[in-house]
Amino acid sequence: MIVAERKPLGEIKGFVEGYDRILVVGCGGCATVCLAGGETEVKIVGAALRIAARKEGREQTVLADCVTRQCEPEFVEAVIERVRQQDIDAVVSLGCGVGVNFLAERLGEVPVFPGLNTKFFGATTEPGMWVEMCAGCGNCVLQLTGGICPVARCSKSMLNGPCGGSSNGKCEISPDIDCGWALIIERMKRLGTLDRLLEITPPRDWSTSHHGGPRRVVRADLRELAAQAEETGATEKESTAA
Amino acid sequence: MDSQVERRAPCVVACPVHTNNQVYVERIVEGRYEDALDLLLIANPFSSVCGRICHHPCEQSCRRRKVDAPVGLRQLKRFVVETTKEYRLRRRGLAERTRPERIAVIGSGPAGLSAAHDLARAGFCVTVFDASNTPGGMLGAAIPRYRLPYSVLREDIDDILALGVELQAGCAVGRDVAFADLQRGFEAILIATGLSESRSLGVPGIDSRGVLLALPLLRATCAGEPPAVGERVAVIGGGNVAIDVARCARRLGASDVTVISLESREEMPAWDWEIQEALEEGVKFAPSWGPKQVLSENGAVTGIELKRCVRVFDDAGKFTPQFDDSEMTTIDVDSVVLAIGQRADLSCLKGSRVAIGPGERLEYDAETMLTSERGVFACGEVVTGPGAAVEAVAEGHRAARAIQHFLDTGDPLKQPPKDDLPSLGDLPEQTIERIRQRARIEVPLAPAEARTRDFSEIERGFAEDEARAEAQRCLACTTGAFVDEDRCAACLTCVRICPFDVATVTKTAVMPEEKCQACGLCAAVCPAAAVALKRFGADRIQQDLQRLLGANANASSSPRIVAFCCLFETTSRRFLEENPHDVEQTGVARVLVPCVGRLSVPDMLAPFEMGADGVCVIACADGECMYPTAEERLGQRVDQVKQILDEIGLDGERIDLWRTKDSAEVSWTAFWEISKRKLAHVEAKQRGETP
Repeated sequence: MIVAERKPLGEIKGFVEGYDRILVVGCGGCATVCLAGGETEVKIVGAALRIAARKEGREQTVLADCVTRQCEPEFVEAVIERVRQQDIDAVVSLGCGVGVNFLAERLGEVPVFPGLNTKFFGATTEPGMWVEMCAGCGNCVLQLTGGICPVARCSKSMLNGPCGGSSNGKCEISPDIDCGWALIIERMKRLGTLDRLLEITPPRDWSTSHHGGPRRVVRADLRELAAQAEETGATEKESTAA
Repeated sequence: MDSQVERRAPCVVACPVHTNNQVYVERIVEGRYEDALDLLLIANPFSSVCGRICHHPCEQSCRRRKVDAPVGLRQLKRFVVETTKEYRLRRRGLAERTRPERIAVIGSGPAGLSAAHDLARAGFCVTVFDASNTPGGMLGAAIPRYRLPYSVLREDIDDILALGVELQAGCAVGRDVAFADLQRGFEAILIATGLSESRSLGVPGIDSRGVLLALPLLRATCAGEPPAVGERVAVIGGGNVAIDVARCARRLGASDVTVISLESREEMPAWDWEIQEALEEGVKFAPSWGPKQVLSENGAVTGIELKRCVRVFDDAGKFTPQFDDSEMTTIDVDSVVLAIGQRADLSCLKGSRVAIGPGERLEYDAETMLTSERGVFACGEVVTGPGAAVEAVAEGHRAARAIQHFLDTGDPLKQPPKDDLPSLGDLPEQTIERIRQRARIEVPLAPAEARTRDFSEIERGFAEDEARAEAQRCLACTTGAFVDEDRCAACLTCVRICPFDVATVTKTAVMPEEKCQACGLCAAVCPAAAVALKRFGADRIQQDLQRLLGANANASSSPRIVAFCCLFETTSRRFLEENPHDVEQTGVARVLVPCVGRLSVPDMLAPFEMGADGVCVIACADGECMYPTAEERLGQRVDQVKQILDEIGLDGERIDLWRTKDSAEVSWTAFWEISKRKLAHVEAKQRGETP
């Protein structure tokens, strides 16, 4: 899941201080599961903003909402409608950064502020703890490293590790951080495939990652046919021109 | 198990009248004793009686019995009726007569009067006939006063009569008024005459002077004119009546009382606790013996000869006693009392066409409760055989429904003789292990030697603190967590936090009702707000806050604090009764919560939203919380609230977490005072003043 955590409430309060009617919007997806932006956090942020406004003698209305996923047009449609109908003049999204973007693109002149700091793609390693495990680099090399990602779990994203900063299984950055390569080696030992590490992985093409610009994934079979036709037409025109 | 079927707590299922036990016990915990009485009286107009003598099948099936001991529901019921006497008098009143039909009830025992109660409340005109001058049937005439003082029975009867039920006491149908006259004057008749005659025994010497029957002896004793029983008494019989007789005999001066039963000690039908109490009072038991003959001299009893009973019931469970005549014994006694069973007196039917079948039994349809005559119904022991008082009340309710249906439609109503509610069943083994034990509050009986001196009541009721402590032991079965599947994100937080290992997640969270202990910890942390509690959920906290703060929102008094306090630490109603000016006067608005461990962060922020200046959370005494981990988790959530208040510049010192010392009454006021002073300090600091 995408893991996030709430921004300090003072910061959120600062974003919306000049606005009269605010809507705090939670997300029922990853943000709920990592306990950062679900229905309950929406209540907390809403309450905190109301309490602060009351204390500071500001007239401010803070409303709350939570959608199934903030990254789907059908789900956010109701929010867009509500913002319009209820004269909302600022939105705080408790979705991940995707949710903030997605709402911002659709909300015209109404600003959307992030209520969360979006951290990483991770997993729950124990109740109340989430750890980064994937960097979304666009070209998985997990088959080479026993299923442990060198891009996400090595602080330097080295493809041939470990480096000299690895000590007793920990990364030089912090004793709280496991050395990703120490994990890889342990894992491959258990798999009996340690010898594969003798092969040097050549420098990779990072254009599949963010370095290649914003990415997109297309499933042609599910796209709207009109959009497909339009794009095909454009491509044909391009090739004719060439 | 079909999740659509509403399962009830086993105590409710076991109670013949299905008293809503968890709810009335919850009302006791909340200090709403009057509301508890209302609830009790709806289910059972003989609540005073049952608070004293009910055989409490509810306790026998209480789920807590597997953890330590059942909740003392009978004594709790007694506490409610004893604490609310004035209120009960105030609520007493005439039922509105909305129906033209007249109904005659023959017999003023618990069955007849319960039916009369229901029918009067349904708007009918009801007349109750009883041959005796004292209404109440066996409860008034034969249950010894040391178990049930007559004044207690009168509380129930007077309530019923106050509805407008007419009582024709001392009027025997069949003697003073003909049954046929009743059929002419009333649209429906209910025969509820019970089993009023003792059975006798056909053994040699049974006619000797000093051979007595149980019911006449008990009646005379209740009436204050007991017969002489001598020093040595043999009571024949193994049921509750035999025990009553034996214990009465001890009180009448007999020094040597022996209960002789065909049944072995284990088979005796008498309640075990009655047998124990009789043993304490010096009653001896001679189980597995049957009378062979009564010995006499000059026509007066001198002893009883017994033969060994080797078997009472056959393989089919039918009463077929078998004896070994080679094993005999003789006991020297001055009197013999026969308590071997009762039979109906059907003399009220004299001259009527109501059919009486073989064995002098009333012909009767167990489902429709109709006799052979249209409009003539029967209920209670006269048709069911011997039973307990609360079973008679249930019969009365059932008969009232049958009669009302008949008068509404002209048709009989088929009802099963015993309704079988779906039960939650016992606690699963692994849940039992996780529930903290808490000793049952036992009320000791008077010492045995004092008990046998007279017919004074032998048991006292709960004091308020005892009742509250006992009520707090209730596991609140069926009132736990449930999930809104549309909201649940399957995040597993509930699974990870539940101290009773209740929740599981497949597609969404599932909270099996039979395991849930209603602690509310899952609801407090669910990030999707998808878990709610059937009782005292977040809505209730909001309502309480609205009520307390809404009206006082503009009060100008000094800093105001909302105190969330653990209901389970109160030993009286002192902090439970709300005075409308309380908040204004004290600056403290109390919200009593059944375990503050269920408070969520939004719950604790809500008072600030409504204008409170501070919040004070008072938990159980250290280590006393009945829900494992609740104290620690609460501490963490209070810290979260502190941090939030700090983050928005309000100061986390505005919320305090206290642990009760001794009891609410001893420590809470002091906590509130300290919190108030601390708050004044915080406010001064924020205004830039130097304290």
